[in-house]
Amino acid sequence: MNTSSSLDASPRDRVTGTPFTRGLGILVLVGMVLLIVLGLFVSPADVNQGESVRIMYAHVPGAWLAYLAFIVTAVSSAAYLWNRTRSLTWDRIAGASAEVGVLFMGISLITGSLWGRITWGTYWTWDARLTTTAFLFVTYIGYLAVRGLGGTHQQRARRSAVLALLAVLEIPLVHFSVELWNTLHQEASVAGRGTNVDMDGLMLFTLFLGVVVFTLMYVWLVLHRQRSLALDDMLDDSGLDNALTARRAEAERMTH
Amino acid sequence: MDNAGFIITSYVITFGAVGAYAIGIIRRSRKSSRDVPRDQRPWS
Amino acid sequence: MNQDFNDDNIGTSADSLDLSPRAVTPRQQRKRRPWPAIIVLVLVVAAGGIVLTKFLTSAIDYYCNVNEIGAKSGCEAGHRLRVQGVVDKGSVENDGVTTKFDMSFGGVTIPVTYDGEPGGIFKECIPVVVHGILTDGVFMGDRVEVKHSNDYKADNPDRMKNEGSTSEGTACSQ
Repeated sequence: MNTSSSLDASPRDRVTGTPFTRGLGILVLVGMVLLIVLGLFVSPADVNQGESVRIMYAHVPGAWLAYLAFIVTAVSSAAYLWNRTRSLTWDRIAGASAEVGVLFMGISLITGSLWGRITWGTYWTWDARLTTTAFLFVTYIGYLAVRGLGGTHQQRARRSAVLALLAVLEIPLVHFSVELWNTLHQEASVAGRGTNVDMDGLMLFTLFLGVVVFTLMYVWLVLHRQRSLALDDMLDDSGLDNALTARRAEAERMTH
Repeated sequence: MDNAGFIITSYVITFGAVGAYAIGIIRRSRKSSRDVPRDQRPWS
Repeated sequence: MNQDFNDDNIGTSADSLDLSPRAVTPRQQRKRRPWPAIIVLVLVVAAGGIVLTKFLTSAIDYYCNVNEIGAKSGCEAGHRLRVQGVVDKGSVENDGVTTKFDMSFGGVTIPVTYDGEPGGIFKECIPVVVHGILTDGVFMGDRVEVKHSNDYKADNPDRMKNEGSTSEGTACSQ
């Protein structure tokens, strides 16, 4: 129905919830319960870290999914910028993904800080991993602010897409910071250069479960947020129409 | 459990933040969809 | 109801209102100043500047290894350093006020004095980063951070027993 270029919500985008996201939501809740049971009770304590290793199952998936979210933002932004795939839906996916990424990065920073307090003995220190992560976090808060600067939807999309393609370049710097510089933060547990996974089986399984649960949460959140952004855009577009309706009603009153 | 306070806090913050954000999205989009005129809603 | 009073092309008449969604031109969209976004952006730029400064002054080469003191540029004794080494087995002494221990790396050992009890998972045979100044051959630390590794092993009572019986020497079995 609506073929306006500034509003390409397809008729399928009915409400933010669909049978698919409802099923996904149930899966997320089940996964969360499983992760809590495995992470807090079933998985073993660590030889060196003791019980505090349990924070890893929230901290590491949070960081990974934040990386993934920012990469999705960059890919969707490229899809928007490319003429043949240009659609504001890509822009809204980029925005939704960045927002969820900031949320996950924030979670990772807070849980990491708590973990640091009980293992390192300090909440925060300016080593290369923590500093580059802070920079990444701040960059994407800036990205979200740029999205809110106003202008047309197309202006917003173009500006933020260029920024997203630049900002994503920080991710390799953050990930490899632990190998490029001396850091207090330990090296990558699983996806490090030349590091073999050296982790207790049940711990590794719990970490894997954490990644799965965070991935499902990510998909659910991005789907809903993307649709809610579409609603916001429609609301923006209808702003003038509402004003006109009011004006018309007024004119009609005057003629009677 | 040693450091139970820190560990439980980190789980509460993690799932609490995600839950609060999810509820926020749903509430906001319900409000928005009320304000979008019916003739503009593709689904009505 | 007639059509000629509508001079502004809004619609036709009340009976045949144009209800189809219409294309929105750029001018039609909200024009209010986005102050919240501008304020956030200013804060982001300021925070980014602080973080970048911290990166250049602190994060690059966060610490010197024990064997790099006096050997690597930036690791000269006489000013504040952050030194990384492994706490020597059996070297930790705590009299309730100060903690003394030896820290080694790359075959070099230095004694460390720290006012207080190190936090975190501090223990012998674990790598630590100590902030402080090297005076008269003793590293006077005012902050101890425990640098734990990225290998995770279940805290298995049997394994602990085995480790205790095999590593009887003073060196830490790594």
